[in-house]
Amino acid sequence: MLRMLSWRLCALVPSIVLLSFVVFLALHLIPGDPAVAYLSASQLPITEEAIERVTIELGLDRTVWEQYASWVSSALTMDFGTSYMTGEPVIEEFLFYFPATVELSVWAFLIVILSVIGLGSASAYYRKTWVDYSSRLFSIVGASLPSFWLGFLLLYVFSMSLGIFPSGNRGTVAHYVLPVLTLAIPYIAIYSRLFRTSLLEVEKLPWMSHARARGLSEKTIWLKFQLRHGVLALLPVLGIVMGYLLAGTFIVENIFSWPGVGRYMMNAIVQRDYPVIQFYILVIACLFLLINLIVDLLQAWLDPRQRHQKGGVKHV
Amino acid sequence: MIKRTYLFTGMLLFVLIAACSNGNVKSESDELVIAWPQDIGAMDPRGYGASQMFAQNLIFESLVQYNAEGEIEPLLAEDWQQSEDGKTTTFYLREDVQFSDGSPFNADDVKANFDKVLDNRERHAWLELANQLQEVNVIDEYTVELTLSEAYYPLFEELALVRPFRIAKEVDGQYVGTGVYELEQHDRDERAVFSGNEHYWSDSPDVDRLVVQVIPDSESRMMALDNGEIDLVYGNGLLSMDAIQYFEDQEGFTVNQSNPQATRTAVLNTNRGPLEELSVRQAFIHSFNTNQVVEDVFYGTEEPATALFGDHVPYMPSVDPYDFDSNRAEQLLEEAGWNLGEDGFRVKDGKHLSLSYVYDANDAIQRTIGEWLQQGASQVGISVQLEGVDNQAYLNAQKSGEFDVIYQETWGAPYDPHAFVSSMRIPAHADYQAQLGLEKKTEIDEMIDQVFIATEESKRTDLYDEILQEIHDQAVYLPISYTSTIAVYHEGISGVEFAPIPYEFQLEKVQKNAPDA
Repeated sequence: MLRMLSWRLCALVPSIVLLSFVVFLALHLIPGDPAVAYLSASQLPITEEAIERVTIELGLDRTVWEQYASWVSSALTMDFGTSYMTGEPVIEEFLFYFPATVELSVWAFLIVILSVIGLGSASAYYRKTWVDYSSRLFSIVGASLPSFWLGFLLLYVFSMSLGIFPSGNRGTVAHYVLPVLTLAIPYIAIYSRLFRTSLLEVEKLPWMSHARARGLSEKTIWLKFQLRHGVLALLPVLGIVMGYLLAGTFIVENIFSWPGVGRYMMNAIVQRDYPVIQFYILVIACLFLLINLIVDLLQAWLDPRQRHQKGGVKHV
Repeated sequence: MIKRTYLFTGMLLFVLIAACSNGNVKSESDELVIAWPQDIGAMDPRGYGASQMFAQNLIFESLVQYNAEGEIEPLLAEDWQQSEDGKTTTFYLREDVQFSDGSPFNADDVKANFDKVLDNRERHAWLELANQLQEVNVIDEYTVELTLSEAYYPLFEELALVRPFRIAKEVDGQYVGTGVYELEQHDRDERAVFSGNEHYWSDSPDVDRLVVQVIPDSESRMMALDNGEIDLVYGNGLLSMDAIQYFEDQEGFTVNQSNPQATRTAVLNTNRGPLEELSVRQAFIHSFNTNQVVEDVFYGTEEPATALFGDHVPYMPSVDPYDFDSNRAEQLLEEAGWNLGEDGFRVKDGKHLSLSYVYDANDAIQRTIGEWLQQGASQVGISVQLEGVDNQAYLNAQKSGEFDVIYQETWGAPYDPHAFVSSMRIPAHADYQAQLGLEKKTEIDEMIDQVFIATEESKRTDLYDEILQEIHDQAVYLPISYTSTIAVYHEGISGVEFAPIPYEFQLEKVQKNAPDA
C-alpha cells in the first residue's frame, strides 16, 4: 500500500513538469498581448511607447525560454510570480479566492452524492413506474441544459420573479442555494442515471441469486449487496465529479457574483495575466491528479480485489 | 412511499432556507447600493491596472476640477496665477481641508504627491503633463508652485484627471484622501463600502453609506436591479440595450442618460484602396443612416453624431454634416467613375468597390454597426466585408493601418479634443494611419504640435479650427453616435446627475427616500 502510494506520488512529478511547460508555451502562443490588455484595463492610451514600457516592466521582452527558465527557478522556491494586473503574488491571490470555490464545490458535491444515490436508487427500486420516468425526464432536461442558461433560469424564477433568493454574492445560507443548485443539477442528472444502471447490473450477477437462495430478505439484499456495490462503482466517478466541480465554477461564479477562483481565472484570461493562468492550470491539474490518486486508494481499500491487481502491488 | 418522503423533506428544506432569507432581498434604506462589474482594486491615487477610476475619484481630490460646461474651476486650490511665459503656475490652496483621518492638508502634501508622480515619470508618461512638469516648490503652507518645461495649455485639464495628479496621504499603509467619501470596508471581489468623510470641507453626501456590489455579469446586474438588491446602475455599458429598454417600459424605474460624452466613429483609411479617393469616402459616409442606427441599435439612448466631435467638445468648429443621402452618394460615385457592375456593386478600371470593416468580434455593438454600414453601403453599390477579429488583432490593425474601415471611439472629456488630437501624430494610432493618405498630413501634424505650445487663446482656437475643419472636409471619420453614461434606478432615488468626465460619478448628490410601508 505505502509503496503504491509513494510510487504514484513520484509519478506525478514528471507530469506536472511537462504540463507547466506546455501551458507556458501555449499561453505565449495564444494571440493577445498582456501589455495591451493592461493598458486598456487601466484606460490608458495604447501607444507604442506605452506598450514597450509595460512589456519591459512585465519582463515580457525576454525570450520565451528565458521567461520559462526564470519562472521555473522561482517556482521551485514557491514563488509563482505576481499578477500583471494587481502586482500581488499569484499564490496569495489564489489562496484568497480558493476557499470560496471550495465552499461552493463541496456543497454541490454533497448535494450531488445525496441526490444521485437517492434519485438513482429510487428509480432503480421503482423501475418502470412514474418515479423512474420522471427521474429520466429530469435527467434528460438537466443534462442538456447549458449551465449558464440554467443559472439564469433559476435567477429569473427565484430571484427576479419570486424574490426569494438573492441574485448573487456571499452572505447567508440563502446565498448558497442558487449557485449550488446550478452547479449540481447537471451532475445529478447524468450520474443518477448511471447509478440506476449500475444498480440494475448488480441484479444480474450470480451472487444475487445466491443471496436470494439463502433466503435473505429483499431489504437486506438491497442494502447490503445491491446498494453497496452500486456505490462502489460510483466511487471513481465521484472523484472526477469533485474535480470537475472545483474546476468548473467559471460560469456559476460569474453569474452569481461569487468571489472564487473561477472568476479570478476568467478575468486573468481576458486580461492575459499569464502568471495567474499558469498557476491556476497547474493547481487544478495537480488537484485532478491527487483526486484520482485518492480515489484509487479508496477503491483499493474498499475492494480487496483491486489491491492485488495492477502492477502486482502486494499487501505488505 | 420513499419517494414522497424525499420530496417532502426536500421541499421543507427549500422552504426553510427561503424563510431564512425572509423573502427580503432589498437593499437597506440608509445606504445606496450600486453595481460594478469588478472589484474596485487597490485604492492608490496613482494606481492603474485593477484600480477603478470611479472609486479613486470618490476618495481623492485634485487641485482643480472640470465642471459641466467643460471649464476648469477651483477644488483644493482656491485660486492660481500663471507667469508671463506660462511656464510657472502658483496655486493658492484652501486652508480648511482635512484628510479623512483628520490630519490637515497643506502644500507639503501637494509636493509629496506630485513628487511621487515624478519619481515614476515613465509610468505616467502617457500624460504629457508628467513629462512637462519639472519642479514642485512649496512657497508657504498653502502656496505651491509648479514649473513646466514649456507653456503647456492643458495643464489644468490634466491636473483635473482622476490619475495620477490627485492628493492622498499614506496612513498605516492605506491611502486616505480629502474627498467626499472614505473607504470603510473592502471585501475583495464582493463589495466595497464607502462612508461620508466626516472631515469633508464641503457638503457631505446625502446618503451616508455607498455600497459597491461586485456583479460581473450584465444580466445578473439587471436582475439584481430589478429585485431591489441594487438601487442604481450607473455607468457605461453596464446593462445591455435590451435591459435598458426593459427598465424604460417598467414602472417604478427611471432611465436617465448623460449629455454626449465620446464619439463612436468608423475611421476611413485614406491611405488604402478605394478610400484613397475623397469622393468614395464622402459617398460612404452619405450612405450610412445614423438616425436609424441610433434608434434601432441604441434605442434612442445615444444621440446621432454629426462630426468627429460634437458641439459639446471645446474648440470644435461648427461643420456641415454629411447627412444620410443615398442619391448624393450614388452621384458622387458616378462622377468619380465608379459604375455599377452586374452584381450590383461598383467597378472602376476592373477594380471592385469593396471595403473591409475591421472590428473586435467580442463587441456586439461593433458588429451590429458593421452590419448597418454594410447594408447602407450596399444600397449605393459599395460592398463591405465584415472582419471580426479578436481584441488583439483589432489593436494590431489599428497600429499597422491594415484596414479600410475600422471602428473607434474618441476618448471623451477631458481628453477630447486635446489628447485625442495629440495622438493623431503617433504612428501606433489608427488615426495617424488613416490620415496618411491626406495631402496635408504633415501640415496637420505641425499644427497639432503648435496648438499645445500656443499661449494665446485665439491662436489656439484658430489652429483647432483649421485642424478639425480639414479632417472633417477630408471625410476621414464616419460619425456614428455620441456615447453617454446611463443610469437606471428605482423609484425613491433622486438627484442622479452626471459629470462631464465619464469616470467622475456624482454619487454624493444622490438621495434615497425611505421605501413605502
